[in-house]
Amino acid sequence: MKKVIVHSERCVGCMQCMAACAITHSKTRDLFSAVLETPLPKPRIHVGVGLFNEGFPNRCRHCDPAPCQLACLPGAILRDLEFDTVLIDPDKCINCASCAMACPFGVLRYHEHCFAPPGKVVAVKCDNCIERQMQGLIPACVEVCKVHALTFEEPAEALKRKTDEVARSVSAGVSQSDLTVGFTLLNTHKRKQIELGRD
Amino acid sequence: MEHVIIGNGIAGISAAEMIRRLDPAGAITLIGDETFQPYCRPMISMVLDGSIPHDRLPIRSADFYEQFKIKAVLGNRVSAIDIASKTVSLENEQTFPFDRLLIASGADPRPINADNLHLQNIFFMRTQQHVRGMLDALSNTRRALVLGGGLVGFKAAYGLLRRGLKVTMLISSGYPLSMQVDAKAGEMIQDELTSRGLQVQVEAHVVGFDGNERVERAYLSDGTEISCDIVVIGKGALPAHSFVPRDSIKVDLGIIVDRHQQTTTENIYAAGDVAELVDISRKCRWVNAIWPEAVSQGRIAGMNMAGRKVAYKGSLSRNVMRIFGLDVMTAGIVNPAPNADYEIMTATDRRRRTYRKLVFLHDRLIGMTLVNCVEQGGILVALLQSETAVTIPKAKMLAPDFNYRQLIR
Amino acid sequence: MNDLYASRTIARDSQLLLKKAEQDLLETVWDRYQSQLPNCGYCEMGLSCRICTMGPCRIDPFGEGPQRGVCGADADIIVARNLGRMIAAGAASHSDHGRDLVEVLDEVSRGKAAGYQIRDAQKLKRVASEYGIGADGKEILQIAGELAHAMQEDFGTRKKGLTLLQRAPTKRREIWNKLNITPRGIDRETSEMMHRTHMGVDNNWQTLLLQGLRNALSDGWGGSMIATEVSDILFGTPKPAATAVNVGVLKKDQVNIIVHGHNPVVSEMILRACQSEDLLQLAGQKGATGINLAGVCCTGNELLMRAGVPMAGNHLTTELVLATGAVDMMIVDYQCIMPSLGSAASCYHTRMISTSDKARFPGMEHREFHPDNAAEKAREVVREAIENFPNRGEVYIPVEPVNAVGGFSVETIVDALGGTAQPLIEAIKAGKIRGAVGIVGCNNPRIKQDFGHVNLAKRLIENDILVVDTGCAAVATAKAGLKIAEAAQMAGPGLREICAAVGIPPVLHMGSCVDNVRILVLAAALANALGTDISDLPIAGAAPEWYSEKAVAIGAYFVASGVYTVLGPMPPITGSINVVKLLTAGLKDVVGATFHVEPDPNKAAVAIRRHIEERREHLGLPFVKV
Repeated sequence: MKKVIVHSERCVGCMQCMAACAITHSKTRDLFSAVLETPLPKPRIHVGVGLFNEGFPNRCRHCDPAPCQLACLPGAILRDLEFDTVLIDPDKCINCASCAMACPFGVLRYHEHCFAPPGKVVAVKCDNCIERQMQGLIPACVEVCKVHALTFEEPAEALKRKTDEVARSVSAGVSQSDLTVGFTLLNTHKRKQIELGRD
Repeated sequence: MEHVIIGNGIAGISAAEMIRRLDPAGAITLIGDETFQPYCRPMISMVLDGSIPHDRLPIRSADFYEQFKIKAVLGNRVSAIDIASKTVSLENEQTFPFDRLLIASGADPRPINADNLHLQNIFFMRTQQHVRGMLDALSNTRRALVLGGGLVGFKAAYGLLRRGLKVTMLISSGYPLSMQVDAKAGEMIQDELTSRGLQVQVEAHVVGFDGNERVERAYLSDGTEISCDIVVIGKGALPAHSFVPRDSIKVDLGIIVDRHQQTTTENIYAAGDVAELVDISRKCRWVNAIWPEAVSQGRIAGMNMAGRKVAYKGSLSRNVMRIFGLDVMTAGIVNPAPNADYEIMTATDRRRRTYRKLVFLHDRLIGMTLVNCVEQGGILVALLQSETAVTIPKAKMLAPDFNYRQLIR
Repeated sequence: MNDLYASRTIARDSQLLLKKAEQDLLETVWDRYQSQLPNCGYCEMGLSCRICTMGPCRIDPFGEGPQRGVCGADADIIVARNLGRMIAAGAASHSDHGRDLVEVLDEVSRGKAAGYQIRDAQKLKRVASEYGIGADGKEILQIAGELAHAMQEDFGTRKKGLTLLQRAPTKRREIWNKLNITPRGIDRETSEMMHRTHMGVDNNWQTLLLQGLRNALSDGWGGSMIATEVSDILFGTPKPAATAVNVGVLKKDQVNIIVHGHNPVVSEMILRACQSEDLLQLAGQKGATGINLAGVCCTGNELLMRAGVPMAGNHLTTELVLATGAVDMMIVDYQCIMPSLGSAASCYHTRMISTSDKARFPGMEHREFHPDNAAEKAREVVREAIENFPNRGEVYIPVEPVNAVGGFSVETIVDALGGTAQPLIEAIKAGKIRGAVGIVGCNNPRIKQDFGHVNLAKRLIENDILVVDTGCAAVATAKAGLKIAEAAQMAGPGLREICAAVGIPPVLHMGSCVDNVRILVLAAALANALGTDISDLPIAGAAPEWYSEKAVAIGAYFVASGVYTVLGPMPPITGSINVVKLLTAGLKDVVGATFHVEPDPNKAAVAIRRHIEERREHLGLPFVKV
């Protein structure tokens, strides 16, 4: 089954995934009107900052077993078997934050949204764009990521590519692709700058 | 295979579900003293405070037992376990043979020594029945007295405050939730509640009650009296294992179990509030009577009972609650004994109104307290449970932008 | 001291005020910087383009997403266009500042600018003669009027080359002519840069960058140079003066007024007002023992250079000074003034006054200064500052000020050397002084405040390299005690000897950011004396903590003039390796100098020393292999 795979070394921190996620989870699904909605739609993927100011798209892994599901007091978190997606039922949610306490990745947030009872703050996390998938579309965050830090593919294929990459990197006579030299140059500089500031 | 489970709290339920998943054919008998459907015990305080209706308590469907082919024996307590004949006997003299036994009998409210406990409107708060009683009494009551500043007492006080009662809380430590939080967070919590009308009295305890059928006042050890028309005793819970034969099954505060949730008698397991096992951060046996532990321990016990010898690393105390304008999450050892090896780091951000406290033992995180902006707390709980060495600058874990990325290479 | 404060700044006064700001719940530039992280990599790499609405576009640096914008521009073009516009904005800022000064000169010549006058008539005549304006038989004001008119021509379309280019060595001008980057008109080059970077105009990344150099040169040898020369004419050429720096220059018992921004057109009038008898008396009546004028950023540097007015801080200190609770008024004109200052000041009693029609800010009261009303308006606002003195709450001035010497215009340096630059040239030839470096530029919250400037200066003077500095860099080294005679103890033996002999500190304050042209003039004078080009000299430039577009323009005109320039922060060019290679290597064959990016000031010092020694070898001077 295809899944969203994160290639974090490519994340440039542009946060397009966050914008697309929020827009997809709004009533009107259009940027210009989404920002005028009440409640204001919010992303379920969160670009965190690393120790050297790298970007990192942090989203729910839809773990199996899901620690949030086990921790949920009212049993509001369930797994959809067809799309292998862990979903939160906003009607059942009691906003107790037990899921945040259980999530090793810190992907839970708590706020109102247009699919929850009006005025009710509930636990919110990535829903794998299950509605889009049902319509044959790919998750919104993947669709907008131009550096392909987020892909939607069979994990086995992504792993195979990574294996080949690692194999190539330890082979003699292989030079690094020029396509990433600039990003590496920037990141090396940023890292140096930050390390200097820490001393 | 005959699986017998004592207790239909979440530990017992989780074990039953796990056994059924791994052993489709085995017989499962589940014995419980409450006749109410399996429900979420921590949520009863939300019924008390009015944020959820009573009918939201059940967490399994009405046909749950049928669906999982569980024989449910409800409404009775266990009186004895015969190790030699491998049978469990109930107070009504029914007996059940077992090949594998799980004791998940939970805990009972710790009693107190005081006169006239028989008066009406004096409650413990452990079961949905207790809370039903409190709600019935609410219409005639205005002044509540809560004994105990721990989790139960605290939640009772909070619930009654939200219901509009005047509440006085008597605590023996300097601040409420002293087992869960440090002095600084405790002070923040106490300030939040006192700003909403809570009265707190320290180091006072009740010696007796008085009233005409219903409680009307309480007498304190210092000679003073407090008028009250509803009392909640929240002095903790004691693991319920009076029926356990001490010569075969070792018991301390709780029933002692190993990494497989197995007691000192083979094929007899324990899980949940009744169990005592190694605590990951304390590194000694402890009873962590909290919901997520009951779930994990029940699952592990179930796996082992069904033949999968899965080991559990250990329990971890942790808690999260929302108190009016404050959110508090704690885990592990938050008040370490004075010891040069512990490194304590705190950060207060007055603009964000957050407080963070992290306790390290060399490179391992062993405790944490977060006040407000608690969403990233699970990352710290995972660090506590896995005991991963922290190799990043520790101060980064206190910063508002701390997130998962900063822990991975 | 809390590690967090020490990790943000090496300046003790900033550290203490950061703590106070936290207690006062004052949001600072550092807080806002943290909230912005992670920065968008497309923008950091220069790979995002917002020039037209067929876009906005991004180029994927990993080669899989789009490699061209909608119009077809590739990474090289997009990076070059973006850099070009940064230079245009920087050049425009400096040049507009120059234009405003020329207008004052013009108004003075017509008697329409009360309070302003010609302070350095000799300089007026010298500069006028460079413009072909004779002095014989003319009143000073007439010369001033003719000069203003001629300078205004430099801003336009009529000329093929700016007047003051003639100060540059012949060889340098030949290079510019050959490359077709001789700047023709100050506004013209900025305008052409905006034209070239419009969609569908210049789509050759090399020629875009060459226009960038030309545009920068129109600033360095044009707008900024005119600004500095006219400021000297109107307000006096700087002379050495004792002064003091850091927040400790604020006084508990005096009315404290801070000027912030750039143009001495405003700050000089404030200075006059602060010195007037009747206002001093009023201050006394309000319980103050005097009126204490201090500066932050370049307008402060202008006053420091001419009158020894103290400096309370540099760029990252501009919010923190308010946290002292001791600033009765802050008066701003334009450039580098953070729009957060108005709300920051509202936490204290400080009144915030904006003065330029071009520069309005949230939370500030607007009192517009023009040449014809400036003197009067200055008195008005100073009076109100005095009236505000009794409204102070808690005052927290946690440090003692550090002494410094400033005022090193080229004229001053030459005077100090005995009337010609020859002694300096001899010292360089002999190797007592290996060479000279200009450390310029801003602060940037990416970098511990002052860390880059101070460490680079220290390493260089230890290596017997004379350091001159301007702008926020100059304030940084002053705060660190490098601008007093005793600081020569930190220098190597050769530099120490020269400093003692001449009576100068090892780090010379040459002024504000437009005053970077003083460094150009000095370099040109040295080159002319030796009969070489600027690129042959054992000199270098450095901007260890730059942030602004103005800094990009300055860096570009330094390099285009032949000065090897080392940057701390990385400019947004890594999206195009071609552009990176041209700027850091290829330009050597084009203009005889390059950029180099090195965030570690110690390593930057090594790179500079290496460059200087290599230039010494090239000139046939004694050198060492580094």
